[in-house]
Order: sequence, then C-alpha cells, then structure tokens
Amino acid sequence: MHQAALLGSAIKDAQHYGWNISQPVHHTWSVMAQGVQNYVKSLNWGHRVQLQEKKVKYFNIKGSFSDPHTVRGLTKAGKEIVVTADNIVIATGGRPKYPMHVAGALEYGITSDDLFWLKKSPGKTLVVGASYVSLECAGFLTGIGLDTTVMMRSIPLRGFDQQMASLVTEHMESYGTKFLKRCFPTKVEKLENDRLQVTWKNADLDTEETDSFNTVMWAVGRAPDTKTLNLETVGVKTNSETGKIIVDANEATSVPHIYAVGDITEGRPELTPTAIAAGKLLAQRLFGQSSELMDYDNVPTTVFTPLEYGCVGLSEEAAVQRHGSDNIEVYHAYYKPLEFTVAERDATQCYMKMVCLREREQRILGLHFIGPNAGEVIQGFALGIKCGATYPQMMKTVGIHPTCAEEVTKLHITKRSGLDATVTGC
Amino acid sequence: MGWEEAQVRGYPEFVRAAQSYRGRPIFALFCGDKDAEGRSWCPDCVTAEPIVRKELHNLPDESVFIYCLVGDRAYWKDPNNEFRMNLKLTGVPTLLKYGTPQKLVEEECFKAELVRMLFTED
Repeated sequence: MHQAALLGSAIKDAQHYGWNISQPVHHTWSVMAQGVQNYVKSLNWGHRVQLQEKKVKYFNIKGSFSDPHTVRGLTKAGKEIVVTADNIVIATGGRPKYPMHVAGALEYGITSDDLFWLKKSPGKTLVVGASYVSLECAGFLTGIGLDTTVMMRSIPLRGFDQQMASLVTEHMESYGTKFLKRCFPTKVEKLENDRLQVTWKNADLDTEETDSFNTVMWAVGRAPDTKTLNLETVGVKTNSETGKIIVDANEATSVPHIYAVGDITEGRPELTPTAIAAGKLLAQRLFGQSSELMDYDNVPTTVFTPLEYGCVGLSEEAAVQRHGSDNIEVYHAYYKPLEFTVAERDATQCYMKMVCLREREQRILGLHFIGPNAGEVIQGFALGIKCGATYPQMMKTVGIHPTCAEEVTKLHITKRSGLDATVTGC
Repeated sequence: MGWEEAQVRGYPEFVRAAQSYRGRPIFALFCGDKDAEGRSWCPDCVTAEPIVRKELHNLPDESVFIYCLVGDRAYWKDPNNEFRMNLKLTGVPTLLKYGTPQKLVEEECFKAELVRMLFTED
C-alpha cells in the first residue's frame, strides 16, 4: 500500500517529465485492497505447500501446554489434538494492543490487522500512535488521497534516532498528514451517520478537543500473545511488565528444552528477518550442525513512510551514551535525490548521517539515511558495518553515479565543525 | 450431497460451467486435449490425472470438480490464450480451487498429499 501511494506521487511527477496525464488522478481503494489481499493469501498457500513438501506436519489449532513436553488444542471442528515433542519452540509473536482505558476503543476502533483487509476505503482516518506502524499507515493513507491525522502522546518512533524521527514526521506534515502532537484520546463514540466522534486531551494546551472520523486505527504498541499458552504451568518465565518470554543467547527459556524466537522474546528487535535468522540458527544448533549463536547487533531496518528512513547500528543518542560525545564523530549531509530535481520536489528532509568512533581506525557505529529506496540503500552498507567497516574504508569506496547512496561514500562534513551540511549534486 | 463432476472443453465452456455452479466450492483440473485414443499431448497431464482422480473422494460436500481440456498444443503454447490471460494459468496440468489463490501447477499435481491438502484445507 506504501507502493500504491508512491505511485500516486510518481504520477504527479510524471507530468514534469512530459507525460500527459489529466489531473487530478483518483484512487480506488477496493482495487488496491483486492490486489494486496490476493497476494497475501497466495503467500499463505505457498507456505503450506512448502511445509508439506518438506514433510512438516501442520496442525491448524490454538495450542497450549498441558505439560513441559505436551501441547494440546482443538481443531476448528472441535476435535482435540495432542502433540508431544522432545523440543518445543514458541514463536507466537505479538498482537496489536487496544487502549482499554479509552471508552469505545475496542468496539469502534480497528488495528493494522484489520486495515489491510478492509473491502471499502477507510475514509477520513485517525491513526493513534507514534510507532512505525502508525506513521507508515498514516503515510500511505495520505498518499492515496485520504484525510489522515496522526495522534501522538509524546515522541515519534521511540527507540529510533530522534533527529531522524523528526525529519520523518516533518516530511509527513509537508506531504499532507495532520499531526495532533502531545494529545491522547479519552473516548470514542459512534454517531448516527456511522462516523466516529473522538475526544482527546491536548497536554500542551490543557484542553479537551473533539472531531469526527470514518475510521480510528490504534497503533499504540503490540503485546505478546502468551495468555492462552499456559506457560506458568510448565515453568516458562516471562517478564512481568511486558509479558514477553525471557530467553538466553541460545533462545532457551527457563525450561531447558523449550525455546522461543521472534517478537515473543524479551529484549530482541521486533523484526521478521531477525526472528527467521534466529530460528534457522536454533535449528542448526539443536541438530548438531553448528554452535553459532544469533547476533542481534547491527540489524538494519527501514521505516516505510512516504520519505523512507533506513538505518543500521547505533542511533546518535545511543552512541553518545555508550562512548561519550567527545569520542564520536558524526558526519552528515543534506542532499537532493536526482528524481526530485526535474519533478521540483521538496528535498528539505533528505538527509544522512554516519556515526563513527573518533579514535584511531574510526569504526562506523551507525548509519542513518532518509530518502527514496532507503531500504535498498542501507542493505548493502549493513554488510560493511557487520564486518567492522571504518570511516577511512568508506571514503575509499567509490560511489555509483548518479545515485543517492553515493553520498554515503562522500560524507565529510562533521556536526562538530558546525559547517553547512548541504551537498550539491552533479 | 457429495460432490459432482463436470467435463468441459475450451475457455467459454469453462466460464459457463463455473458460473452455473456459482456459490459452491469449485475445483478445476486443466489438461491438454486428448487424441482419439484418449491420450493427452501433455505428458505431465497423463501422469497427474489418475493421481488427482484418486483423491476426489476427499472433496467437500456440495463441491464441483470441473475437468477442463484447454485445447491443442499450438493453442496452449500461444502466450495470449484465454486461460493464460484470464485465469493466469502458467502451465498444464493445473489444479486449482476457483476464486482463490490456491493452486498446484505441473509436478505439484503428482503429489497426492498436496492434492489432498488443496481439496480439504481452507
């Protein structure tokens, strides 16, 4: 759906390149939704076929522990299935949270689980939350032409580099998404015309405000789905605050033959590729082929907002906290992607920075990039950082012209110098 | 009520059959035409057909199994034939659950467990 929104912008840009497209161009939700939904369903079928081919027995049941080596559950038809195993891996992930203290939240709001399966357009939408889920959804809803508002209680993208997070939200504002900052909802009511009336508190102005929307989507965090697993009975320890399963570097829980991977585990990045990699390594360790542990450091990721943000390694704040600001050097640049030039697009938030150790070999601690195709840009650099790449090595790497990524190899202005970090194109 | 079979040849007949059974689960097996001796020009279809037929008893009640001959080899090889264009078929044999992305293509149709899975799972 992010791609659908990007294409909408591309259509607008296309005119500058000579394409004759009558404006305004309209978007039909149901066509996009059907395409996306069919694709996701085909993925599910593909997985089933692959599991069958690998002779993996598949039980479509909601299981729970009855003892440390036994899981039981009911099929859809009500038949009980009991499975015993030497080793058990829990990977039940997380589920979007509903803010239970907000009246009407459960009855009238939806979550990201529902958004992608809507058959009709969500219309004027309020997205509550400051997570990447919230910003990505609000971003593409804006991009396809819907009146969209983000309500944030405090900072955007908690856990991410905050300078970059601000640039992301600034771009979204200039792109057309409305922001209600330092606000939190108090109740949701249904109106006669089926619209939803949302009331919220504005913490800055200390006022109460209200507006109506067609859709309210909660993106206020995810919680592990462990309540029904019966973990206490078999002694699998969880973090009492988060509910997540506590694991060691081996992905083992407090019960030796029971393991856990993915979003369900405490202290791991909540990312799909991380969970998959950890699962593969666990399988290799369990069946004797390897003793390699999962490395959770320097995992790259990307936020797919209208202007994408990709990063790998430490945020500037984390680097300062770990090493002290005197011991790090931050190289940065504001740049203009080539595709923005002829199309006369605003590149104010197109920015990148590289956080390095200041001493001797100047190892790169973190790389942050805002711009088109941020995921593609960061992926390759993640290899370098995994291998311990240094600033001098980066400077020896020749850039590919014309790309946005080449600007990474040319970063030379430091924050410390206070000089203007705007770089000119070719 | 059990399940029933319909045999059709060519795209327009297939569409008519699918429409007439609307509302019921429809499974379709697409094969190359058969000659006077009953042998298909498509060797994989010759292999797959008995395997699929052996699993038909697993079909859910009320469902329809449409056995569809697509045409001769030349028709099938045309990249713009109606089955490729409209049903997005990429090869024969194809066994699919109509109206869903669930399908088995070519050698996948040789595997009884996959055929059974297609017939019995949601």
